[in-house]
Amino acid sequence: MSSNDDYMLEVNDLLVYYENAIAINNVSLKCQKARITGVFGANSAGKSTLMHSISGLILDMKEKEMRKGGERITWYGEVKYNGKDIIDVKPSDRAGMGLVLSPERRQVFPESTAMENLKIGSYLATKEQTKKSLEFVFKLFPELVNMKKREAGFLSGGEQQMLAIARALMAQPKLLLLDEPLLGLAPSVESRLAQAIKDIKDETNITIMLSEQYARPVFPVIDYGYVMENGSIVLEGTSEELMNNPDVLGAYFGM
Amino acid sequence: MQELRKERLDRGVKVRSESIYAISSLKEIMFIIGPGLLLAALLLILPLFVSSYWQGVLKITGVYVLLAIGFGFLANYVGLVSLGGALFVGVGGYLSGGLNYFFDLPMIVTIPIAAVGGALICTILLLPALPLRGVYFAIVTLVYPMALSRIIVATGAFRGTDGLPGLERFPVGIGPIYLIFIVILICLYLLSRLVNYEDFGLVLRGVKDNELSIKASALHLTWYKIQAVFIAAFMGCFAGAYLTHLYGWVGTSLLAQDFSILPVAAAVVGGPGTIFGPLVGAFILVPISEAMRDYGTLRIVFYAIILVIFVVFWTEGILDYLKRKYEQFEHWVEM
Repeated sequence: MSSNDDYMLEVNDLLVYYENAIAINNVSLKCQKARITGVFGANSAGKSTLMHSISGLILDMKEKEMRKGGERITWYGEVKYNGKDIIDVKPSDRAGMGLVLSPERRQVFPESTAMENLKIGSYLATKEQTKKSLEFVFKLFPELVNMKKREAGFLSGGEQQMLAIARALMAQPKLLLLDEPLLGLAPSVESRLAQAIKDIKDETNITIMLSEQYARPVFPVIDYGYVMENGSIVLEGTSEELMNNPDVLGAYFGM
Repeated sequence: MQELRKERLDRGVKVRSESIYAISSLKEIMFIIGPGLLLAALLLILPLFVSSYWQGVLKITGVYVLLAIGFGFLANYVGLVSLGGALFVGVGGYLSGGLNYFFDLPMIVTIPIAAVGGALICTILLLPALPLRGVYFAIVTLVYPMALSRIIVATGAFRGTDGLPGLERFPVGIGPIYLIFIVILICLYLLSRLVNYEDFGLVLRGVKDNELSIKASALHLTWYKIQAVFIAAFMGCFAGAYLTHLYGWVGTSLLAQDFSILPVAAAVVGGPGTIFGPLVGAFILVPISEAMRDYGTLRIVFYAIILVIFVVFWTEGILDYLKRKYEQFEHWVEM
């Protein structure tokens, strides 16, 4: 039953070192097609490094550090996307394959307007796709409609986050990576965005993988979750299984 | 197959010499001061073993070394990208030359006055530009020497394009080389103490990283920048005064762009992580440039190529690389 086809993304025995410090220690995880997979963990658990390894940005970081003579980044293991090992594929090519990252801290282009941000996101898409995605994005985030002409740097945190997710959607993702999409947002905006993430999955069948520190707002929308600690996965399970685990309750729900 | 990974570790002697054990044995003491002593010894011995032509080259190299150290200090430790090498050399040169020409002061008086007074003048000139950062500050420092040179030509001040001839000259021999090399060594020693061990240096590095936090810490931002610019200008003005009495002549060529651009190249080649890096860069670039004198202005192309190679492929620079090898070792470990 569980053939490889069910899984969009498979990470097998991934090890990532920043110089001598181990950032990711033997992590294996899977993302089921058309489902939301969550990765939870405190600061320095390795969530962002995992996201960078999957999106390929780590290749860029490695090269930059190498030229600077800074810390060397080494990795071993497999990142399989649709059954194909992509660990050496450039990040831009990965985006072309439909593996799109909405980065941590939003990283919108502050001096471009919201509309321009979206257009930059749709660089790889055809005209038809762009039109369709724009409609979908504005339906998903009606707040952005009135902000089209506003420079992205002047948007509020919540609007910037919406814009970042929307921009990622414009790139026609098959697997959408959301790195801490609820970082620094008000509780009401958190639940608003969590609902939007669920809507994306329900309406477009895009596979979503998200990472978060504080689990409460996103727990209701995820299908399967992993809990990371110090670079390793310590717990995994469906949303209900994790919710009934007392350790998870204490650490990630503040109960 | 067992996967292997290269591990990089600090040498034992480095770890020990960072702590109180630094003074426990000669080995640790030598580890700390060894490179500095080696450099000093090299600089002091080198002039004895070169022909008189290359002695001349060493004097010019010394001038560029001072400028490069000043540039590296401002750029890497204070965050001010200054292209003011030509300004410093010009002001220092014209001040000492003018004092010697119009007031007949001997050079033992004019050089110190030019170094300190010129640094003051340069600092005051740059004062309005100090709130600027990055390329804006660079532009202002680049414009000053151009403007000064035009003013001198247009108004005929300091005898315009002819310059001031017949100034007092250094005696022939290796004495002048030692003068500038010793000044370089003193500047290096004081600067590296300043940036590595003094609170003042700590604040300067803070200025580079985050100006707002410096202000929020109730420190006077501009005052720290003034002091830093004064230090760099002092070295540049001394170099200018030295150059004046080396040639016995002052002219607008002291305001040439070479004095602004070459220090940048030297600092890039040498590496941004240390005070000593620009010195190494200048000692590589200036003699090479001298050896290529036959090719005329094509030298610039050569510089540009070196600069691009270092910026793109070896951002680390020579001295930072050597420093890493000196302090750390690598070995293979199993994953």
